[in-house]
Amino acid sequence: MTETSVGVPMSGTDGPAGAALEGAAKVLRRAANLHTALAGLMLLVAVVAASRLVPGLYDLVRSVFLARYGGVGDAALAIVIIFALVNISALLVIMVSVLAREIWALPGLLLLMVVNLAVLLIMGYTPSLITLVFGTWAMLRLLRAPNLLRINPVMVRELRGRMRGARAFVVMTIYLALMSGFALLLYVVFSTASSLNASAATGQIGRVLFAGVVGIELLLIIFIAPSFTSGAITGERERQTYDLLRTTLLATPSFITGKLESSLGYILLLLLAAIPLQSLAFLFGGVSETEVILAFLILALTAVTFGTFGIYFSATQPRTLAASVRTYGTIAAWAFVVPLVIGFIVNLVQTGIFGNANAPNAPGLEAVLNYANLLLTSTNPFATAVQTQRLLVEQQVIGLYSVTLSSDGSTIPMISPWVVFSTLYLTVAATLIVLTIRQTQQVDVNS
Amino acid sequence: MTDLIIETRDLVKKFGNFTAVNGLSLEVPAGSIYGFVGPNGAGKTTTMRMLTTLTRPTSGQAWVNGHSVTEEPRAVRRAIGYMPDEFGVYDDMRVWEYLDFFAACYDIPEIERKKLIDDLLALVDLSHRRDDMVDKLSRGMKQRLSLARTLAHDPSVLILDEPASGLDPRARVEIRELLVELARMGKTIFFSTHILADVSEICSHIGIVEAGEIIAQGSMEDMRAQIQPHREITVTLRDQEAVEAVKAIVSGVEGVMGIADLEPRAGRQRLRIDYTGDDEGVADLNRRISAAGIAILGFAEETKDLESMFMRVTKGIVT
Ligand SMILES: Nc1ncnc2c1ncn2[C@@H]1O[C@H](COP(=O)(O)OP(=O)(O)OP(=O)(O)O)[C@@H](O)[C@H]1O
Ligand SMILES: [Mg+2]
Repeated sequence: MTETSVGVPMSGTDGPAGAALEGAAKVLRRAANLHTALAGLMLLVAVVAASRLVPGLYDLVRSVFLARYGGVGDAALAIVIIFALVNISALLVIMVSVLAREIWALPGLLLLMVVNLAVLLIMGYTPSLITLVFGTWAMLRLLRAPNLLRINPVMVRELRGRMRGARAFVVMTIYLALMSGFALLLYVVFSTASSLNASAATGQIGRVLFAGVVGIELLLIIFIAPSFTSGAITGERERQTYDLLRTTLLATPSFITGKLESSLGYILLLLLAAIPLQSLAFLFGGVSETEVILAFLILALTAVTFGTFGIYFSATQPRTLAASVRTYGTIAAWAFVVPLVIGFIVNLVQTGIFGNANAPNAPGLEAVLNYANLLLTSTNPFATAVQTQRLLVEQQVIGLYSVTLSSDGSTIPMISPWVVFSTLYLTVAATLIVLTIRQTQQVDVNS
Repeated sequence: MTDLIIETRDLVKKFGNFTAVNGLSLEVPAGSIYGFVGPNGAGKTTTMRMLTTLTRPTSGQAWVNGHSVTEEPRAVRRAIGYMPDEFGVYDDMRVWEYLDFFAACYDIPEIERKKLIDDLLALVDLSHRRDDMVDKLSRGMKQRLSLARTLAHDPSVLILDEPASGLDPRARVEIRELLVELARMGKTIFFSTHILADVSEICSHIGIVEAGEIIAQGSMEDMRAQIQPHREITVTLRDQEAVEAVKAIVSGVEGVMGIADLEPRAGRQRLRIDYTGDDEGVADLNRRISAAGIAILGFAEETKDLESMFMRVTKGIVT
């Protein structure tokens, strides 16, 4: 299969309409490339600025890219990078959806542009203009072939099959039963413990219940999401239906997005079904809507990203078993083993150097260690959830806050881990979707 | 020369060191029913997978409906309906949903699909199973459903890999009749098979493949004509003396390619004469022997059917 010069996979549509799709995808790809260049540039600036060689660099960045933001300069730099990464991810996903001829491609693009416009107006984030200009350009191209967009046939088929019969509801029932049982257990244990200690507030029961339910939900999602996707392509190969699909006009992007939509759609249903259970905690108080929303975001992004791990290995491995093994192995390494090991080392260094009375005066090193900790926390959904909630409850922090260094008493800006987590997971998911499409086409060509 | 709807030139496919298809050149005229015959492992499936753009040829070229399989795979996919040798089943799917899904994959708009599905099911005589689950169908029905699927986008060529394998005689006849019906509707049908009866009954063209190479190809009339002039006559005689006499008489006659002794049967001597003459010549041979006063107990011309031709041309090459 041919690829356009920038590596955009073909949409599998012919004629002028197909050219319009390809063109729109190419424009979106260019916008993503520009944001990537910007993010790279900002990383470079961060390094230079941290070395304090060029004074006033932070303020320059802020006045150019984030003029209406009132906070400190280094926080501004972080915000610019995060916005750039979110834009890259969103643009890549929309590019794929255009090639896959998804019906939500146009509304999705529109939403991204509206958000960018808002950020431009509120914070003065000028790189929004990239998305706005290229987005308009892509939309004009797309409008030339609006009737090419359609409901994904693979998604329809998968959902029909998945929702038929008892299986889907059995899974849902087991999932809800597990969580309710766990919540009940938590409640019984905690209320007996606190009745001995009469001063315990009901608000704390609510919080423990909420944390417990979200925790077990996260655990279930981590196991369920990849199991749905890691057989997506290998399963078709094993059932010998893949060749049938390949001789139709169905394009690879449509196939991949259809598979993702159907599995993630079902998982979203599971997550929504559990919200009433989470809200039980409201009865006891001590939990805010913000916590429920943030927990949902973390759960959903965990499902999406670990789901794309599954589909990536499904595209690159010959058998479902091999794909599953690799998926769970990678997830374990990425979210648990690596952050735990490195985190352990970082903490050891941190306490070893800064934990005692005569701590050295090394604010630079201390800041770096703090940021390393943040990054490591953000790779693991459990750590992210715990730390985000702690900040929310103890310091009422949702986004930016500042940390005082023990070295010299100066403050550095910090950000709640859910922000970094979301950006990181979104970027990884978007990249993996693009890679999966490419890999699938590669494997097909070489067969 | 008629239009060729499938044409390959020196097609080669290697799997590592093993050559599955070795310089294959096919010519399938538009509107024909082309039987692609060969023993197990001859490379039929591999050839079909190259024609359906599923496998890239190691070298050589192939065109379907004028489109190169390597340069314009999408145009080729539009032109063909492919039925692989295994039936790909999705469990959890009804018959109409199966067709609906594939029709959607061929970009047929939803409003047209319902009527299309009804028509296709009527054509393959499955209307009454519309709402049944696909994996509950019998093998013959699955095969017919598969055939309906290949027709969803109204392709001009059907590429069918052993459409009749594993079917009982009745189901086989039904499939055969369907193929003839489809050919009447103007589709070219290119199918592989081991069953020579299929070929002799319905094919207009035949290609015999062996160890990845075409060893005979052409229209059925041409093939028959190629075989016909070559007759095998078995003469049954009373004793060895008569055998020698007949040999002496016949050996000089024009058109006699060879004389061979056969195993005596029931105490009678038998002789086989390879002869390339026409009917008149055969009658003349008989007359000559009779005229010499030799008693002929039997004078039989073997009708050489496809089976024996198949056995003869593929003899010794089977790997
Ligand atoms: N993917 C592959 N890797 C290695 N060898 C292969 C592959 N596919 C086919 N072959 C080999 O190529 C040869 C031709 O196989 P092919 O399936 O084309 O034969 P066929 O004529 O269809 O046989 P059959 O009548 O049994 O279906 C066989 O020897 C087979 O083992
Ligand atoms: Mg075969």
